[in-house]
Amino acid sequence: MGQMLLQRSRRIWLTVLALAVAGCGNVNDQAGAGGPSGTSSPLIEAASTKQNAARFLTQATFGPTDASVLQVQALGYRGWLDQQMATPSSSHLAYVDNRIAQIRLTNPTAALDATQFYESFWLYAATSPAQLRERMKLALSEIFVISLADPVVEVRGAASYYDMLGNNAFGNYRTLLEQVSLHPMMGVYLTHMGNQKEDPATGRSPDENYSREVMQLMSIGVEQLNPDGTVRRDANGAAIPSYTSADITEMAKVFTGFSWYHPTPSNNTFLGRNRDPESAVRSMIPYANYHSTNSKTFLGKTIPAGSTDARAELNEALDVLFNHPNTGPFLARRLIQRLVTSNPSPAYVGRVAAVFNNNGQGVRGDLAAVTRAILLDREASTIGTDPGSGKVREPMIRLTNWMRAFEATSVSGRYLVGSTRANVSLGQAPLTAPSVFNFFRPGYVPPNTRLGAANLTAPEFQIVDEVSVAGYANTMLGAIGNGIGSGTDVRATYAREVALAHDANALADRMNAILLYGQMSGRLRQRIIDSVNSVAIPGGTATAAQINTARLNRARIAIYLTMISPEYLVQR
Amino acid sequence: MTGPIHRRRLLSIGGGLTVLGAAAPFAAQLAAAGSAAGQSAPDYRALVCIFMFGGNDSHNTVLATDADSYDRYYTTRNTGSSPIALLPPGTAPIAIGATSSYTGRVATAGSPEHIGGILPIVPRTPQPVPAGTNATGRTFGLHPSLAPLKTLFDAGRLSVVANVGTLVRPITKAQYQARNTAYPANLFSHNDQQSTWQAGASEGARVGWGGRLGDMITGMNGTNSLFTAISTAGNAVFLSGQNVIQYQMTTNAQPAVVINGTGSTLFGSTVAPSRVRDTIQDQTSDSLFAADYGTVANRSMAAATNLNIQFGSAAATAVPAPTPFLNPVTGLSETNGLASQLATVARMIAVSSSMGLKRQVFFVSIGGWDNHDVQNTVQAVNLGRVAHAMAYFDTVMGNIGGLNMRQNVTAFTASDFSRTFTTNGDGTDHAWGGHHFVMGGSVKGGDIYGQYPTLGVDRGTFRNPDMAGNALVPTTSVDQYAATMGRWLGASEGGLDAIFPNLRNFPARDLGFMS
Repeated sequence: MGQMLLQRSRRIWLTVLALAVAGCGNVNDQAGAGGPSGTSSPLIEAASTKQNAARFLTQATFGPTDASVLQVQALGYRGWLDQQMATPSSSHLAYVDNRIAQIRLTNPTAALDATQFYESFWLYAATSPAQLRERMKLALSEIFVISLADPVVEVRGAASYYDMLGNNAFGNYRTLLEQVSLHPMMGVYLTHMGNQKEDPATGRSPDENYSREVMQLMSIGVEQLNPDGTVRRDANGAAIPSYTSADITEMAKVFTGFSWYHPTPSNNTFLGRNRDPESAVRSMIPYANYHSTNSKTFLGKTIPAGSTDARAELNEALDVLFNHPNTGPFLARRLIQRLVTSNPSPAYVGRVAAVFNNNGQGVRGDLAAVTRAILLDREASTIGTDPGSGKVREPMIRLTNWMRAFEATSVSGRYLVGSTRANVSLGQAPLTAPSVFNFFRPGYVPPNTRLGAANLTAPEFQIVDEVSVAGYANTMLGAIGNGIGSGTDVRATYAREVALAHDANALADRMNAILLYGQMSGRLRQRIIDSVNSVAIPGGTATAAQINTARLNRARIAIYLTMISPEYLVQR
Repeated sequence: MTGPIHRRRLLSIGGGLTVLGAAAPFAAQLAAAGSAAGQSAPDYRALVCIFMFGGNDSHNTVLATDADSYDRYYTTRNTGSSPIALLPPGTAPIAIGATSSYTGRVATAGSPEHIGGILPIVPRTPQPVPAGTNATGRTFGLHPSLAPLKTLFDAGRLSVVANVGTLVRPITKAQYQARNTAYPANLFSHNDQQSTWQAGASEGARVGWGGRLGDMITGMNGTNSLFTAISTAGNAVFLSGQNVIQYQMTTNAQPAVVINGTGSTLFGSTVAPSRVRDTIQDQTSDSLFAADYGTVANRSMAAATNLNIQFGSAAATAVPAPTPFLNPVTGLSETNGLASQLATVARMIAVSSSMGLKRQVFFVSIGGWDNHDVQNTVQAVNLGRVAHAMAYFDTVMGNIGGLNMRQNVTAFTASDFSRTFTTNGDGTDHAWGGHHFVMGGSVKGGDIYGQYPTLGVDRGTFRNPDMAGNALVPTTSVDQYAATMGRWLGASEGGLDAIFPNLRNFPARDLGFMS
């Protein structure tokens, strides 16, 4: 399998090189030709066409709009990224706090539920000017996973967690990792909240949950990696583990003695009694008497016995993870998979990991630089040229794509979409994965498929099945026809498309531009034209309403056909 | 307890009777078979995997209650902020707020004091006493939430398979600790061990043993071979064979979802519906992702309408819905999602004959077993759900259109791994070998198969040969467990060797729990 992966990556690379040499497309290969062993960064620069801008926005946002395409063209990729990174984050916590205040005007004992967080997600995904940051929040929430599916996760706390991801999206990974580790909702979700030191008398040992998952899922992963993210193997070809269960047991002692924030901490507040009103949104605090004072040896590091400073030891442990050689390639691959492609070439992963390791100014973990490296890489812009390139669009992002492309609005202003978790809906709702392993795994290979035969991973395919494909199609049919959510709260009028509806070719062109960045197949185009032309626009004595209905139906048909087409469902 | 035995006797009588001649229409046979005296069982077999995602703590599921075992268990687990040691058999449950005379603690919802003592079970074959324990004879019991499973155990339709886990070859504690004998990669990791249980390899595996068994039997399913491997729980590598592809169903009365917009008109167009059909299942894209997506849509559209018609038939609708589950912690009635999944499986079995299906493999699941904390309440509820769902399924299988289908259907449990023997204060962490249940009329019930291990972690002079650190070293491999059921389903010895390449590493190819 290692052999096959190698061959495949080489194939992708050759394709990329061939394109670069041919000067094809609008790729401005600033850095010169990098080879498979090259260390230069083949970054893209100019967004000379609407198509390229729309493709870039498909990777970097919740979906292109007419305005954002023009914006990227005006600013260039780099300029747009700078502008986006300077745009402040929306606050989901402020949103849910406002909502509960409103709700309590009429129902004084009401409590928040996940619905209000979902409102904030769809509102900001659809309308926030900080689109790159919004998109990064979702990406990070699928790597540093907490879930509203678990009743221990509180809605206010979840909103603050999501804000924290956004605040750190272009900061430093080390800070992000620390704030994730100390967030009370991560504490309750992965159960290091209130974790107590070992008791040699009874054999009771600290909870190992966070110790394991912070290594496996959020920093270094289970196997040792080369700088390009490929798996290191021993002489027998077996993967070399990154850690042992002893490492987990030992590091678990670091994550003891943390619990709820309280201005006057006590044993009671450690045990979760007498909660402070802000404790769901403020970092956990150390409680020295519950922290293990034994020595802790993990990943080649030993923290000597005797210290009661839990906070200092947590920093030491996180530094070990932060500085581990796996962390750059591990995170690079996962972020590339969330934004751009399921099977990045080792060279692409290596380039992004190198930026993680050093942003050019000697700083490790600069996530702004990492984000730029991912989105400006030449492989991201030439992604459509290989049959195995790209990724399945996540169901949630398909819906935001519709909202943005067609400028859907919320009747209530609150985007009352509700839960989209059911497999007869989108099979996915924000911050509501079934487990810390997210909705899908980065290493998922769909069985009995062309992808599987080619040894390609396809994370999003883990939630594609006979039920969910139909559930998605029906959800979109409802949204496109009438709107979506409580009282079909989120609706589009398709003004731009209705204006073109007399011309089936123009309507197909519009779909191609706004949803498919110019990649529409001739087959899909013909199906749209046939279907659109089959709806007659009445003339003569017809009323304006009859004419408008026909034009609207033409627009709906074109959108539905496009959004259920497999060629739309893959982003490349 | 008398109920199931009574039904069993009727089965053995009814099974030998020929009530109607072969010429009678099938519907008439079904109608006549509405009474307890049914037909002899049809040529149909199904295997149902009940996967407990997260890693069930089997130390609190099937317990050793002899003094030596229980003392070490109780001492180890009766500690922390919320002790997880279950109380001895015969301990009466006490009300929330009352003080236990056994532990001296006040009972809280779901605490061991509140749910009462371990339910004793007596295996028909005495368990050998393993090395390391001072016990002279061993006794056993089940978690107090498993009363319905105790009933099935006593009735002889459920057995326990002890200390099952993922293995490459037999391995001792010493060999594991010396790292000198092969064992599976990424032990204790959820996703990897789920995959190893289902497919013999870490995450990324593409062929599972349920699907491979499906490859060998799908030829018996005629034109409906699409329904050989069915999940109600999302994509599971367990059901993917080399050829067989899993088919996903909902738990709705109409289990398939028909794609709207493919009828006669769409948005005023009579042309658009056909273009929708062509588009959604288009497999001609040069993108492998797009082509594969079209293939799934194609499968979805091919079968949905027919399947829903089948589920609307009298045979399917005669399968009763599960009764509500009484939550032992909240005291409230609630829907049991696992029972709903098994109801869908039962309805599929009920229409199997009319669809010409002779062999099927099913996958259902229940999450919430990763009990690093608040284990008492969460596991008590979850085990209750499993027992409620399995007992429902057993009852339903006892009368599918008048036929007793119990001996045609075998259900078994699986989970990522079991958990640490010690507590972390109010929960447990990831470990390795665990105990599992097999249920059905073809199971040699009322017994414990495999060696139930010595309990306890090494401390002082005590050395447990069965436990490395905090994890049971499995003495029965998943391959042995699976092959025993695969043989019953119809796989040949050569076929089993092909599916389970490590099976030949183990002395026993058949654990003997299937008849």
